[in-house]
Amino acid sequence: MLIKRTHQHSPRQGSVVESLAGQASGLDRRSFLRKSGVAGGALAALGTMPLGSVRKAEAAMAGPLTAGATIRKSICTHCAVGCTVTAEVLNGVWIGQEPSWDSPINRGSHCAKGASVRELVHSERRLRYPMKLVGGQWTRVSWDTAINEIGDKLQAVREKSGPDSVYWLGSAKMTNEGAYLFRKLGAFWGTNNTDHQARICHSTTVTGVANTWGYGAMTNSYNDIRNAKTQVVLGGNPAEAHPVSLQHLLEGKELQKANFVVIDPRLTRTAAHATEYVRMRPGTDIPVLYGMMWHILQNGWEDKEFIRQRVYGFDDIKKEVEKWPPEEVERVTGIPGEQLKRVAKMFATEKPATLIWAMGQTQKTVGTANVRASCIALLMTGNVGKAGAGANIFRGHDNVQGATDVGLDIVTLPFYYGLAEGAWKHWSRVWEVDYDFLKSRFDSKQIMETPGIPLTRWFEAVTLPKDQVAQKDNVKAVFVQGHASNSITRIPESLNGLKALELLVIADPHPTTWASLAVEAGRKDGVYILPVATQFECKGSRVASNRSLQWGEQIVKPIFESKDDLEVIYLMAKKLGFADQMFKKIKVENNLPEAEDVLREMNRGSWSTGYCGQSPERLKAHMKNQAKFDMLTMRAPKDDPEVGGDYYGLPWPCWGSPEVKHPGTPLLYNTNLHVMDGGGTFRPRFGIEREEKLPDGTSRKVSLLADGSYSLGSGIQDGYPEFTLASLKKLGWDSELTEAEMAVINKINPANPDAVSWALDLSGGIQRVALAHGCVPYGNGKARMNAFGLPDPIPVHREPIYTPRVDLVAKYPTLPDAKQFRMPNIGFSVQKAAVEKGIAKQFPLILSSGRLVEYEGGGEETRTNPWLAELQQDMFIEINPADAAERGVKDGGWVWVTGAENNSRARMKALVTERVGKGVAWMPFHFGGWFAGKDLRGNYPKGTDPIVLGESANTITTYGYDPATGMQEPKVTLCQIAAA
Amino acid sequence: MARMKFLCDADRCIECNACVTACKNEHEVPWGINRRRVVTINDGKPGERSISMACMHCTDAPCAAVCPVNCFYTTADAVVLHSKDLCIGCGYCFYACPFGAPQYPKVGNFGSRGKMDKCTYCAGGPEADGSKEEYAKYGANRLAEGKLPLCAEMCSTKSLLAGDGEIIAQIYKERVMKRGYGSGAWGWKTAYRETIES
Amino acid sequence: MTSFGRFIRLALGAWALLLLVSMAPASAQQVNPTASSVKEQQLLQELNRIQGRVSIPDQRSGVLEQPQGREWREFRNVTLRWIGGIAILGTIAAIVIFYLTVGMVRLESGRSGRTIVRFNAFERFVHWLTATCFIVLAISGLNITFGRPLLLPLIGFEAFSEWSQWAKYAHNYLSFPFTLGVVLIFLMWIGGNIPNKVDIEWAKRGGGLIGHDHPPAYRFNAGQKMIYWIVVIGGGLVAASGYALMFPFYGTGIEGMQMAQIVHSIVAVLFVAAMIGHIYIGTIGMEGAFEAMGSGEVDVNWAREHHSLWLDEQKARTGPNDGQPQPATAAAE
Repeated sequence: MLIKRTHQHSPRQGSVVESLAGQASGLDRRSFLRKSGVAGGALAALGTMPLGSVRKAEAAMAGPLTAGATIRKSICTHCAVGCTVTAEVLNGVWIGQEPSWDSPINRGSHCAKGASVRELVHSERRLRYPMKLVGGQWTRVSWDTAINEIGDKLQAVREKSGPDSVYWLGSAKMTNEGAYLFRKLGAFWGTNNTDHQARICHSTTVTGVANTWGYGAMTNSYNDIRNAKTQVVLGGNPAEAHPVSLQHLLEGKELQKANFVVIDPRLTRTAAHATEYVRMRPGTDIPVLYGMMWHILQNGWEDKEFIRQRVYGFDDIKKEVEKWPPEEVERVTGIPGEQLKRVAKMFATEKPATLIWAMGQTQKTVGTANVRASCIALLMTGNVGKAGAGANIFRGHDNVQGATDVGLDIVTLPFYYGLAEGAWKHWSRVWEVDYDFLKSRFDSKQIMETPGIPLTRWFEAVTLPKDQVAQKDNVKAVFVQGHASNSITRIPESLNGLKALELLVIADPHPTTWASLAVEAGRKDGVYILPVATQFECKGSRVASNRSLQWGEQIVKPIFESKDDLEVIYLMAKKLGFADQMFKKIKVENNLPEAEDVLREMNRGSWSTGYCGQSPERLKAHMKNQAKFDMLTMRAPKDDPEVGGDYYGLPWPCWGSPEVKHPGTPLLYNTNLHVMDGGGTFRPRFGIEREEKLPDGTSRKVSLLADGSYSLGSGIQDGYPEFTLASLKKLGWDSELTEAEMAVINKINPANPDAVSWALDLSGGIQRVALAHGCVPYGNGKARMNAFGLPDPIPVHREPIYTPRVDLVAKYPTLPDAKQFRMPNIGFSVQKAAVEKGIAKQFPLILSSGRLVEYEGGGEETRTNPWLAELQQDMFIEINPADAAERGVKDGGWVWVTGAENNSRARMKALVTERVGKGVAWMPFHFGGWFAGKDLRGNYPKGTDPIVLGESANTITTYGYDPATGMQEPKVTLCQIAAA
Repeated sequence: MARMKFLCDADRCIECNACVTACKNEHEVPWGINRRRVVTINDGKPGERSISMACMHCTDAPCAAVCPVNCFYTTADAVVLHSKDLCIGCGYCFYACPFGAPQYPKVGNFGSRGKMDKCTYCAGGPEADGSKEEYAKYGANRLAEGKLPLCAEMCSTKSLLAGDGEIIAQIYKERVMKRGYGSGAWGWKTAYRETIES
Repeated sequence: MTSFGRFIRLALGAWALLLLVSMAPASAQQVNPTASSVKEQQLLQELNRIQGRVSIPDQRSGVLEQPQGREWREFRNVTLRWIGGIAILGTIAAIVIFYLTVGMVRLESGRSGRTIVRFNAFERFVHWLTATCFIVLAISGLNITFGRPLLLPLIGFEAFSEWSQWAKYAHNYLSFPFTLGVVLIFLMWIGGNIPNKVDIEWAKRGGGLIGHDHPPAYRFNAGQKMIYWIVVIGGGLVAASGYALMFPFYGTGIEGMQMAQIVHSIVAVLFVAAMIGHIYIGTIGMEGAFEAMGSGEVDVNWAREHHSLWLDEQKARTGPNDGQPQPATAAAE
């Protein structure tokens, strides 16, 4: 097979160089270079220089080896920055990558992963054909056999144990279209047990942020961070996790002479470039933030006008902040009061200030509360809804934001409609299927409206006694398409789950640790592996962290026998007997649903989140016209015929139908702009007023709508609730609805059309009219400092389940045991037992985990790429020199790391470094393929084992789940290290 | 006269290794050969800095001076290249190189060196520009296509600059002036006997 | 009492210091990594090299910059050529002058016709093994230092590279038998090569090279002992330094290899110079000397003139005529 440039059959002749040489022999290379504008290229490579004036010479200069190659653009799959990948394709072979100068996001740049994605496609270690485990041996089967056998088995499980006994684990790597169809597959199968990576990366962000001001996403953009005067990174290491974002962060820091504060337990690669580094104890984010707020309130640095107009619950927060004077903050976090005061002052007074975070805040039992506290800090200082400010939440996969938006989740249908009857009815209208048909697919209406099991608990859903799992039966089968198993905590226990399953299906370009650990768990059969294409072999839209949608082209056709995600989903639906219903409104050719058509269906149903304006045609026009978007504002010139006035990637919400030509919303909740220019307000999502109990026993009603604040040019110059037909009528604007629109509205709720809201109106009329009056369809409310309804409405510090500071547990215990998401959460009992048993004495080191730049997620894909694997060949643990000396551990020497549960142990190399403070150890979480010191290379199907294997960090991680989302706790636990 | 140079702005470099894998990708450099690498100094301590390093294409290149078979040559753009046909893999260029640029594939007998391989500034080798032979021995010839080295073009933070020495020095100077700090053009004094005042 | 007061003060001081130290981590938190960034020239001044951490296993690549290669370059391209040039050309010149003025050292007493075994077959095998290897190693080695200015212009790039490539292989492979030879030489002849009083006398009399003097010597005279030790020590050094170069980074860093190359090349050129002298003496420099390594048997008169004490020893051991085959020429005498 022709897979490499060097394998090319015949070199193409007739390059520019040669023709130039032919025309003017004697043209030396130097003058050639001058002509071709190399110097200009150098300038373009710069960044601080204006790009337009010195743009690199057009790449018509392709040499002989790339002559005739076509350029195709897709999106890098390794984090959510959204770098455009520019591929050169010749004869169906991806022969080279070129810098994507035109992308306003990455502007030519990549990180180690992005610069090497070509290898993923032609990797010689990829899965080539379907396989099944027969008597412990991986055996080749045909696609037909695989799909048939899997389908029959699933039906058998369904008949015996009900649809909820099949766990559908999807992926943040799928396109929007893939993730959406996967969720839809779950819905048609009849379960809400459909989840993906967002559960273990930013589920707490989505919940925390959405509960504060309306939508669970990054408020601003990477590019916009250039406007910040103060950047605070708390719980993130973008230099390694989102390297290309650092281009914007560092240039912003330079151009604005901005404060660049990194608060982290490790002196990370990001911290190395900070103007202030603050070392904190892992798991104390809330005290850090309250500590900052204490100084802010003490000195009157809060933004009083902003709070008055746009914030609810300030007094409640004040009371909580009072509990955190500098002495207490230092006692809990280890940060000196003076330093935190300095940071607080910068954050509150040198504005705009932005707060940047990633999994450092989210992957905790208090993840939702952490994120909430961050939002509260931003609200208190008026740092939301403005350029250079905001919650800049860096997400981890190319489409984790999108997959969340399209509802590949356990708590909602696509686009955050929830699971209530109204939501199901909305989607049955969009899908044009009978609501009763959907209901019939589920065990009961009640379970249909009950959130599913978080993926973090999948193995417990298999192994716990049946009566502890609140559904008909335990989980019996797992169908995983594009998710690592080693990113999930408590691997030793997951082995029990793997063993007990009746069926495991792994659909992925690589076998992943699902395969190697399943064999390790003792499985001899009942495991299928389906080769799925990489995203570079598929087309579709992806949502970057900044909510921009980018359309990726298919670079090359799926290689070997691998299939597009969409095709696998279709084949499953067909086998399970509901393809006709599920794909009623979607064009399918040769079993492959057309991605564009899937997007159109999403457009038709996604009013709530403003995914309705991003038609495939508009997205493709954006990719084609990338160069026209301004790097800082991300907006195209108004007079451009194709993309005039649009913001790059139509960042959602992009209101109305595509014909409305809403430009997208680059900054959420920005009242300084007209809604048709991307302006917005906080979303009143939790009622329009709240009854508060007063100390004297009486109560009062407090409005949750904005007070005197509204977006530019708003037809209503105060707070207002979401738009419904009723509210349009009240305003006298209902006459502006067309007849056709009214007809649709009447059809949606014939009994009570007045109740039809902006989110349910499939005609888009209500949105259109609201926009025409400069109003935001969802209303204009206050952001909630007090998020009533959450387990901790006011964020409260709670010590990690396994904390070295047992002295603080009594004062700051974790939440009581409870049932959440069909499962018991016994965090309190575990914490109590750990304190009583003196676990902290046996395991005195705090263990945290995080990313390396070379690898992503569970890492099987990136560890299979030799260009990356060469750069990180060994699993390691970072340990402070003092801790290492106490244990006789040498830099580069082998150590055994032991964990607080399951007698877990793992063998890896020690990296002795001051990067971590004393008492803290840190591991990268990308390794897999070893377990408890044993190399599992032999467990992979022959020739598909990743180049680099190593112990998984999650072999050591322990119990702990966020009560609001089921998020795991891999960022703080305890361990012990001994020289091996 | 174009005088091609590399400049790594240490205050921008975050050790993301894009330069390293871009190089691997563009030239299909085999495992074990690192034409470019990123070294982190004071790793994990305050003041930590990472620097991306490859052949600096020195003025009066030491490798060329000590080569027993005189296999090096300097192009009109001041790129230091060598002929793998002439190289005998003696290792002398490695002893002389201040930057650890020359790489040797391990061949056959007792781990000794094969033909030297190093950064070509994406300018290929003595074979015809853009020919298959050139690609097989030295990798892509981007310069002949009017493109700059891919490592610099793909640098995540625009830390690594490539291009005419005067232009990139100017860019760097302006950066330092604007932001108010800099840690110098690493390696320039050694490679080019000049520094950028900052 | 005063001493007690001093003790208290000291203890307090120490306590305060301890406190300070224990507080250090807290203050260490307050850092501005941007302002405290490492600077290249400062690092270079401190250590003359800059080293850091790399994640790839090839730890040598952690050395970012090591400008001392410049000194090595100066050595290789200038110093070494002078040393080598002077040593080798000087030796040759000296020999030529010596030969022209003094000529071959003759067997003053003429040939006796009777011979005595000086080196047995094994000894001669070892000698020639080492010698052959040495000559190839010397030529291929000198090629590395002098080939580029001297030979390359004559034969052109391709031919020179081709030749040098083979020369490199030869140099690498023949190093093994050469090293073996040196080891055997060391073991085989160590007995006769311990310096003693006789050597002083021999040396004082200039080995009798000039005039008709014949200072007494055992099996090996001081000159030969010198050659022996040059071979053993020089051979040992070139072998050790050579292997350090041939197996890069096994136990050495880049400076180690630069040092190894310096040692290797200096020792080698001096070695070559010495061996030119040795070859001269063993061939046209002295009548009857070559036979010692040729047939292994030397004329008794030659032995008497150059190794009188050895001859005496041999006679004492075997008796004047005992066991010695009478040469055919004896009858004709």
